[in-house]
Amino acid sequence: MSYDCCWFNPERNPLECPNIDEGEEYLYASPRKRFVEKCIDCQWFQRDLASMPENNPFKNIILTLREEYKEQKGHLQSLSAFLSSKSREIKFLHELSLVLQTSMELDEVLSVAMTAITSGKGFGMNRAFLLMVDRERNSLVGHLGVGPKDYEEAWRIWDEVDRSNFSLTELSKDFYKSKLATEKVKFQDVLEQLTVSLDDTSHIFNRALRERRTIHVENAFDDQDIDRKLVDLLGVSRFLVMPLISRNRSIGILLADNFVTNKPISPRDLQSLQTFAFPVAFAIERASLYERLQEEVDKQTQANRKLQEQQALIVKMEQMAVVGRITASIAHSIRNPLAAIGGFARHLLKSGNPDEKREYLEHLVAAAKQLDDVLEEVFTYSESLHPVMDLWDLNQLAAMVSDAVRPKLAEMQLLLELDLAEGIPKAWLDYKQISYCLRAIILHVAASQQPGGVIRVASSSDGNTLRLCVLDSQNSLSAEDRSRLMTPFSETETLGEGGGLALCMIILERHGSLLTMEDIAGGGTKYCITLQEKGVI
Amino acid sequence: MSRILIVDDEASIRLLYSQELTDEGYRVDAAASIAEALELLAKNSYDVALLDIKLKNESGLDLLQKLVKEQSEMAVILSTAFSCYKDDFSAWLADSYVVKSSDMQELKDEIRRLLARKKAD
Repeated sequence: MSYDCCWFNPERNPLECPNIDEGEEYLYASPRKRFVEKCIDCQWFQRDLASMPENNPFKNIILTLREEYKEQKGHLQSLSAFLSSKSREIKFLHELSLVLQTSMELDEVLSVAMTAITSGKGFGMNRAFLLMVDRERNSLVGHLGVGPKDYEEAWRIWDEVDRSNFSLTELSKDFYKSKLATEKVKFQDVLEQLTVSLDDTSHIFNRALRERRTIHVENAFDDQDIDRKLVDLLGVSRFLVMPLISRNRSIGILLADNFVTNKPISPRDLQSLQTFAFPVAFAIERASLYERLQEEVDKQTQANRKLQEQQALIVKMEQMAVVGRITASIAHSIRNPLAAIGGFARHLLKSGNPDEKREYLEHLVAAAKQLDDVLEEVFTYSESLHPVMDLWDLNQLAAMVSDAVRPKLAEMQLLLELDLAEGIPKAWLDYKQISYCLRAIILHVAASQQPGGVIRVASSSDGNTLRLCVLDSQNSLSAEDRSRLMTPFSETETLGEGGGLALCMIILERHGSLLTMEDIAGGGTKYCITLQEKGVI
Repeated sequence: MSRILIVDDEASIRLLYSQELTDEGYRVDAAASIAEALELLAKNSYDVALLDIKLKNESGLDLLQKLVKEQSEMAVILSTAFSCYKDDFSAWLADSYVVKSSDMQELKDEIRRLLARKKAD
């Protein structure tokens, strides 16, 4: 009887064995290994066994041993595959746990969790939704959805993931950085419809939370216990509802399905996902608490900063109040005797004194008048230390001030015209202070006008800023003049003699407003009070 | 002839106001304190009272409240060195508020205005 197999045919060289591939050359030198790994399945060996006479007792023994060996080998391979899959799962859960344990940011935790559920390198579910318990709204609120919206997107995403060859950690990082924001918007409509009141005790989400167990729905379309709207919304018959519980607190619900592949969810998948749900719930709760803590810390920091600012302001105001009281007190002490001196001088002047004394009396009256003006400015300054802010109509203010100064301007043979913009918003200001400043600017301009001159007062608004301007069409300012006017109480500015403009600068600065001087095309100067944006309502 | 009562603790101011207002044709009395003013008010009837706010250890605003209650026919002008009292609510009870100045024109104008208003009423 002739045999094909190299074991029985001495002419057959093992080097001719068709079963040994490249890299398996060690089998030539190890007949035992070669027999177990290759010959047992070799066609030549099988043919040799088949051609053995039936009455050969070794034939049945060999055949039985061969079958038993193959069965055991298959079992071993299955166990090995299971072991390998579990090893991968442990490694994967370990990786996830590391990220979940170290991350304090809610979005990062969610990115890791949702990527792990939906990625082929993770649990491989097609789609997942996270709903979080909102105690203020007493609802389970749709928070995040991850996965494709339709078949086309599914193939595109999976192809992209395949080609990227990212690990699970890299995938979740990529998702967190570049996809989370769009993913939040993509499922907004679905998330809103998934939101359910915590009082709806029969709803499957609330049941899962209450019973603290994962509900595996296998035939949603025929299940009477499941809300039809939810089934229609998901459009799948199989899905998982996993409660997220951390330290006896309900955190939320994870909803996962295979709406594209429609692949059944195996008990092993279910078990793995349940194992995974616990650290996810813990990480989400911790990140949420950390986020809230961070918000509270920020609020506290902000409150502390405001408190410090207020304290500094109070100290400053106290100092100003002292200065203001001293200034007002001195001014008051001067005003009474001054009124008497100036008043008696005027009285004597009226009662017909000899001509040689008349000049002296006129000087006395003029000096008293000047001191009166100084006092008025000192009072204005001391009052400016405590601005009284309110909403005022700027046009009305301009009209009132203009009416008040017109008689004085008339004495100087000057005209005052108003050019007020209609419909400008009310402004947040101290009426007395801004009135004083406008009056001071008008009188400053009037002082340099030739008789017959016209002074224009105009208001305007550009939406966020209000301006009140006095136009001097006769005089342009040199850079030196401007610098001098911008410097409060420079040597040429004297209280009671037009020093009002310098005081005006200080008042406006304290008031949060601005005084500017601009050239007018063709000659002249425009003096403008600009009320800052924050002061306009 | 209209009668005016001046209430001011400064002697020079009482004298100046008395002279100027007498020259204007008014019959003028002057008091240095609230007690003196009340004494004069008990004896005479006045058309206008000129009140200083800071009266040594007293406040003209206290007298103002009394006058508003008991002498409602009489016009009251607050005359003070402090322009800041304009913001005091109690000062709003007065018919007018004039800041003291060596130029008494504003005060005289106010007296004329109040008397004309009283006459019209």
